[in-house]
Amino acid sequence: MAESPARTAFAEEALTHLDTLYRGALRLTRDPDQARDLVQDAYLRAIRYQHSYQQGTNMKAWLFAIMRNLFWDRFKGSRKEDVSLDDVGEFVLYEKLRDEGAKPEADVLDKLAASEVVKAVEQLPPLHREVVLLVDVEGFSYKDAAHTLGVPIGTVMSRLHRARQQLQKSLYDYALESGIVRANGSHQVQQ
Amino acid sequence: MNCKDCSEKLDRFVDRELNSTEVLELQLHLESCPDCADQFEFHEHLKRLVRHSCECDAPPVAFRDKLRQLLS
Repeated sequence: MAESPARTAFAEEALTHLDTLYRGALRLTRDPDQARDLVQDAYLRAIRYQHSYQQGTNMKAWLFAIMRNLFWDRFKGSRKEDVSLDDVGEFVLYEKLRDEGAKPEADVLDKLAASEVVKAVEQLPPLHREVVLLVDVEGFSYKDAAHTLGVPIGTVMSRLHRARQQLQKSLYDYALESGIVRANGSHQVQQ
Repeated sequence: MNCKDCSEKLDRFVDRELNSTEVLELQLHLESCPDCADQFEFHEHLKRLVRHSCECDAPPVAFRDKLRQLLS
């Protein structure tokens, strides 16, 4: 395709959002090679359809929408467990830990490894994972997240709530397995 | 506002989605209720933890350069 100042300027602006797209792709695909392919294809599609981008609107959200739509096109028909979320009920980690005698922040949150938190996020079904990525990681408003995902704000809120319940359950399970807390009602401070 | 009302607004509070009136009402409750205040602080901390944990991965420099060449 012929190089043009307008295209170069658009590409440069789009590339300022590469970190967001790459992180999102990595969390969605859980594979660096697939993430790079997805991001590259998303950028190529963005360049092809740059005329449809409205100047002054949220380019990061626009690019993320292209990327996640490509992801869903590619992974359509994936396993059922990838799109559903077990009902963990109202799992409130704070209350669970407090009831077991731990100081929830000092004794538990401060001891969770980043890699375990990432793992817990990656275990969420993609429909829920992408909401956590947009709102919790990238700081999108509910409105921008809803626009990006093409769903009502209420859906963003309910998916986010359920995703957080599942995340808290996963982190609690990890805290138990790793000995950060004990199920018998006491907690243990690791050395 | 009671603790139940407060709990129902937890997600929207940590996501900065409440309007100024709701924030004010909530802050008044949190000032007088240490349990709710601790719980809200915990969830804000958890949100920060998720963000910081997932922000660690950056695209390889070579990939950024490749994209720049491809798109220019």
